[in-house]
Amino acid sequence: MTKHLNWFLYILIMATSMLWLAWGKPFAVVGLFIASGLAVGSLYALGGIGMVVLFRATGVLNFSSGAAGAAGAMLAWQLGQWGVWPPLAWIGCIATAVGLTVGYGRFIAPLLAWRDTVVKAVATLGFALIVLGIVSFIWPDDPRTLVLPTDALGVKFLGLRVTATRLIAFAACLLIATGIWLFLGRTEMGLKMRSVANDRDLSALLGIPILTVETVAWVIAGLLAGFSGLMFANLIRLEAVVLTFMVIPSIAAALAGRLNNTALVLVGGLSMGVIESMLTLSPTLKGVRPIAPFVIAAMVLLYNQRAARLVFAERG
Amino acid sequence: MDQQLFRITPTGWAGLAFAAFCFLVLPSVAGSFWLSVLTSAACFAMAAAGVAFMYARLGMVSLCQVGLMGIGGWVMLRLNHGFEFPFEVNLLIAAIVTMAFGWLLALPALRLRGLYLALVTLMAAGGLEILFATFQFPNGGEGFWGVNLGSVGPFRKPALAQSAEAYLRFVVLLVALGFLLIEAHLRMAPGRAWAMIRRSEAAAMAAGVNVTFYKTWAFGIAGLLAGAAGALLAGSLGLLDDGTFRSSESIMIFALAVVGGARSWLGPIIASVLFRILPALLADWGVNTNLAYVIFGAGLLHALITAPNGIAGQIHDAVKKLGSRA
Repeated sequence: MTKHLNWFLYILIMATSMLWLAWGKPFAVVGLFIASGLAVGSLYALGGIGMVVLFRATGVLNFSSGAAGAAGAMLAWQLGQWGVWPPLAWIGCIATAVGLTVGYGRFIAPLLAWRDTVVKAVATLGFALIVLGIVSFIWPDDPRTLVLPTDALGVKFLGLRVTATRLIAFAACLLIATGIWLFLGRTEMGLKMRSVANDRDLSALLGIPILTVETVAWVIAGLLAGFSGLMFANLIRLEAVVLTFMVIPSIAAALAGRLNNTALVLVGGLSMGVIESMLTLSPTLKGVRPIAPFVIAAMVLLYNQRAARLVFAERG
Repeated sequence: MDQQLFRITPTGWAGLAFAAFCFLVLPSVAGSFWLSVLTSAACFAMAAAGVAFMYARLGMVSLCQVGLMGIGGWVMLRLNHGFEFPFEVNLLIAAIVTMAFGWLLALPALRLRGLYLALVTLMAAGGLEILFATFQFPNGGEGFWGVNLGSVGPFRKPALAQSAEAYLRFVVLLVALGFLLIEAHLRMAPGRAWAMIRRSEAAAMAAGVNVTFYKTWAFGIAGLLAGAAGALLAGSLGLLDDGTFRSSESIMIFALAVVGGARSWLGPIIASVLFRILPALLADWGVNTNLAYVIFGAGLLHALITAPNGIAGQIHDAVKKLGSRA
């Protein structure tokens, strides 16, 4: 019951803030900001979901997903410049992100398997810096844009024109979130993954192939990193540093789901994106609008631990 | 106990000698470009010392140190352009205000541990980055935010350090004092409490250590050092740019503190050299500065996987080996 009360409270607060921001503004303007917010929020949510799936299965909070996405997006841009057939360039982007992420998961992460979660997270930061350095070295700062053919397509919806890229981001987010939910709940690999997330040592005793399960988790994380990298590069900016540190709002979305609940990450990410976008409507808060994900994440964290007391330290 | 407090270890002597070298020799030989690079490196060494000691002594990861430096710098500039206090008073107020912010940040941290603590500080750093980018740093304009487009108001330097050379000496002196402040804490009751908390919070609590108080205290010290560092950085040029205080920089300074070695005085120095001087050197040599990221990243992985005490620990071991051979 309390669990549902929290959900209800969260949605109520978000809806009130949105209503407050939208009050007295014409519907066409509000709708435009909601649509753009949903697209960006979808990407926060996707980044967050990738992070949560990986964190639950391997205990690694992956700061390098932004960098892997940046590497992929840059490669896709380069392939586009060389005149490669666009779908191949997009596949190249996702493949690069998967390659980098799985490479880290298979070769570097095991060296830190028995360390604190903080140390594991910080190590992925090291990997992110290496990737960022190499990507910035190959593609020095220059204004670039990654154009997707869907940018030109528009869909009329309730009198608003929404670009197909935004629609794809939103639809992909819902599809992927449902897919992952079904995968974890209905497949054997999903069951194994939940088991490993629950208790790694016991799962190993039961004969669950930990390495395979972890590799699958790294692949999922890589796929999501590649996809959101491509979309962020299109919707926000194609710049290695910016894309690398887009991981921070994704972490905010993951935190909204307390690093373990993908449905909450989805709701959190989407509402963060929408609130961030709608803050543009407020004359006083317009300037600080990117702050929304951090404030929401911090509030969720504080609310969640309101009843907690400092007692004995847990391991990990 | 007092004898213990003032006892100088061999590494301590090395640190004091290094500080003396930085105070006496460096400012005289550096040109104007290197004076400003070294001053900023010294400021970041102080801030790095704050995160390094929290990580090494309490296992707490703070990813907000450069953001806190920004608060110190903001308060410094605000006071400079708003009131007539001398530099030293402004510095003190800036450091104390930042310490209060450190405590504020510690409030959620008291119940959160490990990863969650790191993430809450990261959220704070992300928030501060946006606030600095939106409101900018005061430069003599009107109103609370005091931002003037175009012209920059005058900045009062410390009475004893009007020139860039003297200012570097001033900063080195204060940074040395900051390091000594940490060392003094480690040798007194807080140090013993931290050591116990690091081992086991439960044991510390059972032994009557006020865990909440000492954890908050650690945050306060880190905030104090960050605030002073930010204020000194503001004093170097008389103005600040929001690009200096991005959350990525907070992440970087923590990473480099681990690379340098969080347990000894040398670690934060190495961290600041890597953070500020290496990119300047690379630019000087005509090497792409982005390669610094690759070096940082590889250094961080290397430090985490094989060298828990960082570069400083390796240097320390090497010196020890040489000493035993002789």
